[in-house]
Amino acid sequence: MNENESRLGRIMDGIGGIVDSYAVTLKHLFRKPITEQYPEQKKVLPERTRARIVLTRDPEGEERCVSCYLCEAVCPTDCISMEGAERGDGRRYALWFRINFARCIFCGLCEEACPTLAIQLTPDFEFSKYHVLDLVYEKEDLLIEGCGKNSEYNYYEHAGVAVGFDKGEHPGEAKPVDVKSNMP
Amino acid sequence: MWWIVGFVVLLIKVAVVLGVLFGFAAGMVLVERKLLGRLQIRYGPNRVGPFGLLQPVADGLKLLLKEDIVPKGADRIIFFFAPAVVALVPLLIAAVVPFSSDLKIGETRIPVLIADLNVGLLFFLAVASLSVYGVALGGWASNSKYSMLGSVRGAAQLISYELSLGLSLVPVVMLAGSFSLVDIVNAQAEYPFILVQPVSFLIFFISSMAESNRLPFDLPEAENELIGGFHTEYSGMRFALYFLGEYISMVVLGALVAVFFLGGWRGPVLPPLAWFLIKTMITPVFFIWTRATLPRVRYDQLMQLGWKILLPLCLVNIIATGGIALLVRS
Amino acid sequence: MPRLVIDDREIEVPEGTKVIDAAGRLGIMIPRFCYHEALGAVGACRMCAVKFLQGPFKGVQMSCMVDAKDGMVVSTTDAEAVAFRKWVIEWLMKNHPHDCPVCDEGGHCLLQDETVSSDHSRRRFLGSKRTYRDQYLGPYVQHEMNRCIHCYRCSRFYREYAGYRDLGAMQIADKVYFGRFRDGRLESPFSGNLVDLCPTGVYTDKTSRFKVRRWDLERAPSVCIGCSLGCNTVAGAQFRAVLRIEARTNPDVNGHFICDAGRFGYSYTNGGAGFRQRPREPMAAGAGIGREGALERAFGALEEVARKYGPESVAALGSDRNSVETQCALKKMCAAKGYLPPVFFLDPAARRKTCEAVARLDERIAFSRSELESADFVIIAGADPLNEAAMSALALRQAFRKGGRIVVIDPRPVSMPFDFEHIPVVPEAIPRIFGMIVANSIPGEGGGLDANAGKFLRKLDRRSEDATLQSRIEDLAAGLAAAKRPAIVCGTGIVDETTPAFAADCALLLYRAGKRAGVFYVLPGANSYSSAVLSENDGRTFADILEAMEGGSVRALVVVENDLFRNFPDTRRLEEALARLELLIVIDYLPTGLENRASVFFPSSTAFETGSTFINQEGRAQFAHPVHAGGVPILGGSPEHVFRPDVPGGGQKPAWSILHGLETGLSGSGGISAEEIIASHPAFGAIAPLRYPVDGVRVIPVQSKEEFTSQSVSGGEPAPPRGLRLLLVDWMFGTGEISAYSDTLLESIPEPVLTMHSADAERAGLLDGQEVALRLEGGTVEVRLRVTEKMAEGVILLPRHQNLRWQKIRGFPALIDPERIAAL
Repeated sequence: MNENESRLGRIMDGIGGIVDSYAVTLKHLFRKPITEQYPEQKKVLPERTRARIVLTRDPEGEERCVSCYLCEAVCPTDCISMEGAERGDGRRYALWFRINFARCIFCGLCEEACPTLAIQLTPDFEFSKYHVLDLVYEKEDLLIEGCGKNSEYNYYEHAGVAVGFDKGEHPGEAKPVDVKSNMP
Repeated sequence: MWWIVGFVVLLIKVAVVLGVLFGFAAGMVLVERKLLGRLQIRYGPNRVGPFGLLQPVADGLKLLLKEDIVPKGADRIIFFFAPAVVALVPLLIAAVVPFSSDLKIGETRIPVLIADLNVGLLFFLAVASLSVYGVALGGWASNSKYSMLGSVRGAAQLISYELSLGLSLVPVVMLAGSFSLVDIVNAQAEYPFILVQPVSFLIFFISSMAESNRLPFDLPEAENELIGGFHTEYSGMRFALYFLGEYISMVVLGALVAVFFLGGWRGPVLPPLAWFLIKTMITPVFFIWTRATLPRVRYDQLMQLGWKILLPLCLVNIIATGGIALLVRS
Repeated sequence: MPRLVIDDREIEVPEGTKVIDAAGRLGIMIPRFCYHEALGAVGACRMCAVKFLQGPFKGVQMSCMVDAKDGMVVSTTDAEAVAFRKWVIEWLMKNHPHDCPVCDEGGHCLLQDETVSSDHSRRRFLGSKRTYRDQYLGPYVQHEMNRCIHCYRCSRFYREYAGYRDLGAMQIADKVYFGRFRDGRLESPFSGNLVDLCPTGVYTDKTSRFKVRRWDLERAPSVCIGCSLGCNTVAGAQFRAVLRIEARTNPDVNGHFICDAGRFGYSYTNGGAGFRQRPREPMAAGAGIGREGALERAFGALEEVARKYGPESVAALGSDRNSVETQCALKKMCAAKGYLPPVFFLDPAARRKTCEAVARLDERIAFSRSELESADFVIIAGADPLNEAAMSALALRQAFRKGGRIVVIDPRPVSMPFDFEHIPVVPEAIPRIFGMIVANSIPGEGGGLDANAGKFLRKLDRRSEDATLQSRIEDLAAGLAAAKRPAIVCGTGIVDETTPAFAADCALLLYRAGKRAGVFYVLPGANSYSSAVLSENDGRTFADILEAMEGGSVRALVVVENDLFRNFPDTRRLEEALARLELLIVIDYLPTGLENRASVFFPSSTAFETGSTFINQEGRAQFAHPVHAGGVPILGGSPEHVFRPDVPGGGQKPAWSILHGLETGLSGSGGISAEEIIASHPAFGAIAPLRYPVDGVRVIPVQSKEEFTSQSVSGGEPAPPRGLRLLLVDWMFGTGEISAYSDTLLESIPEPVLTMHSADAERAGLLDGQEVALRLEGGTVEVRLRVTEKMAEGVILLPRHQNLRWQKIRGFPALIDPERIAAL
């Protein structure tokens, strides 16, 4: 009897489950849809949303990117390429810098790897193109005027190479050694 | 002279039925997507025209204009004709469905159906079983592993559920005493058969769901395992034919449910045609609701349900109905 | 042979091996900064600390300072040693700047690796960082002293190993500074090795500054083709450009180092960026023509000429910078089509000298560069090691450091970074003096020698008329007599034709006299050895071809990678002869100017773009692996936004493949097989098919067929020549065939000067630094005059300088009447 009861119970359970689920969907029918009507209603995305990549500038307005190739190395889809060069004052910069957004998966590893906070991902994701080659962005397209997420960091202030700051002028540095004197 | 009038009337009837069915099929596409949307707390299509009402037009245009791709190595002839079979079957069935009580123009009574066959029910069963060819051959002719798997599954599923489908109608015939669909409707003058044959109704309903490859029985076209199953390789108009066939068959099955169990066009106050339409729509709407509610069954569950539950249930039901009918009549 | 246990593994090493090397043999890399195999140990960095658990002493010790001893049990992973090394890293990083992103060493920095592996990430020290000012060190090496960890590798290499004195340590304690007394170019032509040696980024490669990270380079083992030594390198390319050359360690050939000309003279392969453009597409009469079209036209025209005038009317010219594959393909093509056999030399004398040298090398007396390092007495006859084969000067420096005595018998003002004795004599007198040193070093009449050797010894002069010279020779002979491993370095440039064979005979004589003696030839070009082997029985040179061209019997010429206008001494005659040709087919990768004159021009690939074998001066076949596919470099601007299936500027093919096309008329990748190379000459049998591509196989015979066959050099002092003898000389920078097309080397190229002995100058009334006009037969050359006493009288030296039109001398041996040199 017990077995039969339990079998019957199971059947009733099953039917109940099915009926319950019908009830759930029926209830949904009368709820207001939760869809966001995207092009008309645009949601403000969080600051750290990973979409279009930009190159930022330091507080002095110089390009932050020093073309260290770390983002290029870490990029899992190999969508970043660049060529480093030396400016007249010895500053290292990217002669050209290219991101192929047709390949980019917006994983954000480049931003994580960047030692100078130059490369940053922004919440702007609306930049579809009709032609795939138009998704290849050059430095002119990537470089923005502002500092992005951090408005204070200036890599060269801490680097210890004589660019923008002379030897010994960086925070926490001693005056350059006078190699022609043995005075302590 | 009269036969010419009769022929013209027949042609008109065929045209009207075809038009209405195509219209319904197109409408069903929208209804399904809209309803499905609302059942899942979203809007459904709302971009084309006001409230997305022109969506079927856009879909149709899109499918018409798409490239018709024939896979390399496909059996071209079968590949071309298989979708037509699928679309043709529900249209043929529609020929025996009585939509309303006879139309009276003056003295003449014109039956509102194309052909009142005295074996209408058998005709329906016979023709319905043809649709397995569309599925099996279409998948086989595509020269694709997914299509092949889909068509094998489809063939097995359709054949399995055909039995229950047919047997579930035996009590109806026993009660009505006729194979003619008009007679079956007339037999429900006092009460619809659903009241006396709920089990038959349930089995017929479930089987027709399986016959039309709809969730939870859409294994032949399981999108996430078989990428569309038997119609994976179809595109453009040929795909549209499969699509059309599925929706027409949904409407036609709805009409048959109405005829067999819900008393056809009969009902108070409203004109018979309106009642028929309302009753017809009940089944497709429930199909859609089901699609929004239930997940796909596993293949072994499908087979178990068909052979081990529905089929014995049918037989028990027939015997019980027969016994009761015998008792009542005697 | 001490046996010791390192990390639970036992090893037996030779006496005197340092523990750090013993671990290296087991494959255990003990961290190190200051220790270097070539430079030895100083124990400056304290990084190689290991714990000695048992043995002569126990505790943490520097593994580079401890000789392996029996019974030692060493642990490199002991907690105490690991903690010690972690502290060392932390204090080495105390002053290291935060500039890895802008440091070119980043990515292959030893300090970076060790810091990461020791898990040091936060600077705990609160004091300020020490800083230094940097110096300008010339066009190759960038200086950034803040990064220094004071391992002393640079000054040890620069001062001790290489022997230059302008870079070293200054200041004391933790302010030690490595640099020059004042800003300026590094004097050493081996300064590029500082880049390889520095364990961090104090010295970095300026030519590829900021352009690339090591991890992005396509790298492959390559071979330098700047001179005949065939130093091993690792070439790295990115963006279709070769950007960095590093030294590859090969103890037999170049040790750990290479010279600056080899390291920085790579940019000819990138050919562009405002310099003379490397030709990259096939051309006909100076205009572009597709690869297929070029082949069709060239093949058709060759067939046409051969049909009209017979196949002997087609001649072919190779060069010293052809790979072995190319030379064999050229030989094969000529043989298959019945053309005249190819020639590889322009100058008959150079051909004879090179062939002599190659014929006389055998395993008994052929010295490799590493054997030169351990020679205890070196006679340099008619060679200027630093200018003709720079890395041999570094080897001689090592011989000097080990106490070897070095004497140079050469008319040129030879300079090398160590003390040596210089006997400046005219080229004709070189063998005699050098024979006298050898003869005087063997006592008596050579008892104990076999008949041939004795005969040879008796033919040598022993006494000079000049008393001072005689005493000097006797002194040197005494040194040679005491030496156990004497070496003879013999040039093939300015010497007389008999000298190379004579050098071999002298080496053989010393060998017979019981010494481990050897000869080390300096050949004219990268693949001269193979050129000589392949033209062994064919006395013709381009001079003969030129005559045939003038006579009209040669109507078509195929020039394969030969910069004719640079190498041929008579430009006008060459132009006229080329104008008479019906067909000139040129295959080259350099913009020699011939490509515009050619009926059909094919661009060939450089050694960086195709796998190719080169045989160095000691007969060692070495394979340069392809580094990249080539094409127009993407440098100086972002690549354009286009889809294209081909590589821009990728029209080049290996020369051997083009020659195969000219032979068969079929395009495609066919070429020359290992079997065909081996069949080209019996000497190449050493390149067994299964071992191709070969690396390091010596293709010299075990024993040479000839012994003591050189002409005797007795007969007293040669009569002084009537005029001044003009000698064409090579310099390290500015005279190379390939380096002329490398814009990276431009800054090192000195101004061309005509060098003259002060006595000759006085006689002619000329002053040092004067602009003079040298009237040659083909025209006047204007050049600055340099006067020195450190050279032979009776010769003047003119470099084959790229900025000097010296190709007016009409034939190679040139005697100049002093009258013809006039002040401007």
